[in-house]
Amino acid sequence: MLGRAMHERPNEPAKGAALGDFGANAAAGGAWAWKPSLEVPTFSTTASLDVHAWPVPWALAALRPPTLRLASAQWAVKLTAAISLPIVAPKLKVFSFRFPQPGDWLAKSLASSREQAGSPPAPSPSINAAPGAIPKAGRTRIKPPGDIVKLEDRLFYVLQPSLETLIGEGSLAFPFRPFAYQFEGVAFLYPRYAAILADEMGLGKTMQAITAVRLLLHAGELESVLLVCPKPLVTNWQREFTAWAPEVPLAVIEGDQAKRRWQWQQNDMPVKIANYELLQRDRELAVELGLKFDLVVLDEAQRIKNRGSATSLCVRALERRRSWALTGTPVENSPQDLVGIFEFLSPGYLSDAMKPRRMGRAAADYVLRRTKDRVLADLPPKMFRDAEVELTHQQRESYQLAEKEGVLRLTEMGESVSIQHVFELVLRLKQICNFDLASGESAKFERLAADLDEVAASGRKAIIFSQWVSTLETLAGRLAEFRPLLYHGRVPQQHRDGVLEQFRDNPRRQVMLLSYGAGGVGLNLQQAEYVFLFDRWWNPAVEDQAINRAHRIGAAGPVTVTRFLSTGTIEQRIDQILREKREIFDTIFSDVEPARNLGLTQQEIFGLFQLRCPSGPIDLAA
Amino acid sequence: MSSGDPTSQEALGFLTVLEHEQQGLVGGYLILNTAGRPLEFHCTAPVKPSRAQQILFGPTLDSYLYGEQIGQTLLAKGSIAPVAVCTDVQRVLSVRDYVSLPLALVLVGEDKPPAQETSAPPPTWRFDAPHHAGPDMHAFEIGRNRLAVAAHRDADRHEIVARLNGLAAFDLSEPFERIREAVEEAHKGPRG
Repeated sequence: MLGRAMHERPNEPAKGAALGDFGANAAAGGAWAWKPSLEVPTFSTTASLDVHAWPVPWALAALRPPTLRLASAQWAVKLTAAISLPIVAPKLKVFSFRFPQPGDWLAKSLASSREQAGSPPAPSPSINAAPGAIPKAGRTRIKPPGDIVKLEDRLFYVLQPSLETLIGEGSLAFPFRPFAYQFEGVAFLYPRYAAILADEMGLGKTMQAITAVRLLLHAGELESVLLVCPKPLVTNWQREFTAWAPEVPLAVIEGDQAKRRWQWQQNDMPVKIANYELLQRDRELAVELGLKFDLVVLDEAQRIKNRGSATSLCVRALERRRSWALTGTPVENSPQDLVGIFEFLSPGYLSDAMKPRRMGRAAADYVLRRTKDRVLADLPPKMFRDAEVELTHQQRESYQLAEKEGVLRLTEMGESVSIQHVFELVLRLKQICNFDLASGESAKFERLAADLDEVAASGRKAIIFSQWVSTLETLAGRLAEFRPLLYHGRVPQQHRDGVLEQFRDNPRRQVMLLSYGAGGVGLNLQQAEYVFLFDRWWNPAVEDQAINRAHRIGAAGPVTVTRFLSTGTIEQRIDQILREKREIFDTIFSDVEPARNLGLTQQEIFGLFQLRCPSGPIDLAA
Repeated sequence: MSSGDPTSQEALGFLTVLEHEQQGLVGGYLILNTAGRPLEFHCTAPVKPSRAQQILFGPTLDSYLYGEQIGQTLLAKGSIAPVAVCTDVQRVLSVRDYVSLPLALVLVGEDKPPAQETSAPPPTWRFDAPHHAGPDMHAFEIGRNRLAVAAHRDADRHEIVARLNGLAAFDLSEPFERIREAVEEAHKGPRG
């Protein structure tokens, strides 16, 4: 009962009254009226009347002395565990690769060429000249082949610029822009340690090989290169190097042994050229001098198809890191030819036991083979015409007599007859097909002379191939009106370049007579629009080589190939064998399923004369 | 790059970062001479940020990974100092805070599709070629190349123009294709 006076003391004013005057109405029992007053009211009453004051709570609170109470409580809080996480950057693993740089020869060579030109030092190679605008589709990138396993080696090739960029580089002069397929050929060779560039003749294997060598020299990947070629082609290679890699110093190994010894040791010549025969002579010298090469290139590599030959043994003995083979005819006679070349590239990789299709698949990554009809849409067409001629009366008589006597003699020899005896007869009959020795008549010549009249009248040029020097010389005499040039094995080496030059540059020297052996490889005779095969070689690859002296890049126009064939003679039978050999080649270098084994057998050779033969295979064109 | 090395007048640097779906970021740095021949190549092992890094670095994570961790590390590995460094990834520009070399972003031309579409890289690699300079970038041209620098690095623009002026015909986007192929090759590891 906080609102009521809890006690009453007469001498003290009622606490409740001190807060105000409730007025008379209160005494009269009327309505309450309270007036606040500061004075302490006193109540006088005579009546015994309990007065109860009802103070409001806030008034009491105002009067009540403040009371302070202290309270303590235990505040026990468990501390939060703090986790510190250092932000430490992990050490990043980095794979680094630095590219080799070219040897001193390059700087010297460039400086030398500038001095000779008398020009001020050229600015450093600039990509100003680079074909930066080459569309991506037109860039030829180098891809590492599958047999390169080291990552560093693979990256070396992946990170090279496109060949078009390299070739557009200011420091690399080119006589003309290579064809797209030639870029591909260079890109094929560039990363390979074992490779066969087997393009058809006339597609520029020489240029592609030189360019690949050149780029590798500039990249510092090569320092010593040995190029081995047939002797007649040495000057051709020199000429091609001058055109396609003029800044690359090269040495031709020649002269007496003392000179050769000195030449072999020339370390400032990154490229050396030697011919096969010389290399055989210097075989022991190479061992004695400890010759090592970063790359050995074999031109006309079909020369080493026979694994047991001195040539093959000699080149295989060379110490080298890379091995390239250039040949338009990696298979001349049989798939074993390719095995022979691979013994130089990667010994044991191919074997004789492999079937052609399997061999083709195994060799696929190492061999690049293009034909003109696939890559040179713009190359003038090559037209064949088989000139089948009937022997003259005198020729026919001589031929039949020789054949009859020959076959009779072979038959009489019985079991002692050898392949050599058969060949002798074949050669004799073929010679009669060319010229009858008794009468001097020649149906082929008559046809040839008529054709040459037309050729000469048109102002065009022709090349004529035969396997015999004697035939060529006879032809030269009878074709004197055409002033024919002669190029065969008996023409001295020092005169040969002059002969070629005459044919190329002199418009009045329209006819050249060549032997398959000396003129069938490596020559560039694009000026000729007519090719005559006066007699046929033993295998089609050699014939192709000959034909492609004229039908190649830079050819003046369509090339017409005339293949003479005396009907009803040994030539027709040989022609049939040649066609079958071509099928062997196609089996290995295409996906065509071989119809049958087309290797030339001894039986077939003897079959030319319907002779029974001893057993066992032979290599006819070896 | 070694700070003490003299700046080579013959070299250009190309720095990029590729993103692999599973393994993370891989950086590649190719130094070419002015003929386009490679002089050096460096690439990182894949970098994948931890969950903690993702949380703690927040929006600065890309800048940290592309610039400080990958870019700076790669540039420090180079023994040849190029006249300038190009990148085709905008986030790599943050490396400029750690190096003194001028750095430019190579923009893909309007008429040129991103390299991803033409070079057919494996689908696990992601690459976003920049087509436009952002608002905080200053774009410019050198020959047929469109470049950009960060707006606050405008001095780089003048320096790059001066240094690369003689290289107008050079396709500055081409070397990145080589880097991508090399990173892909390195990712495959040795053969055999």
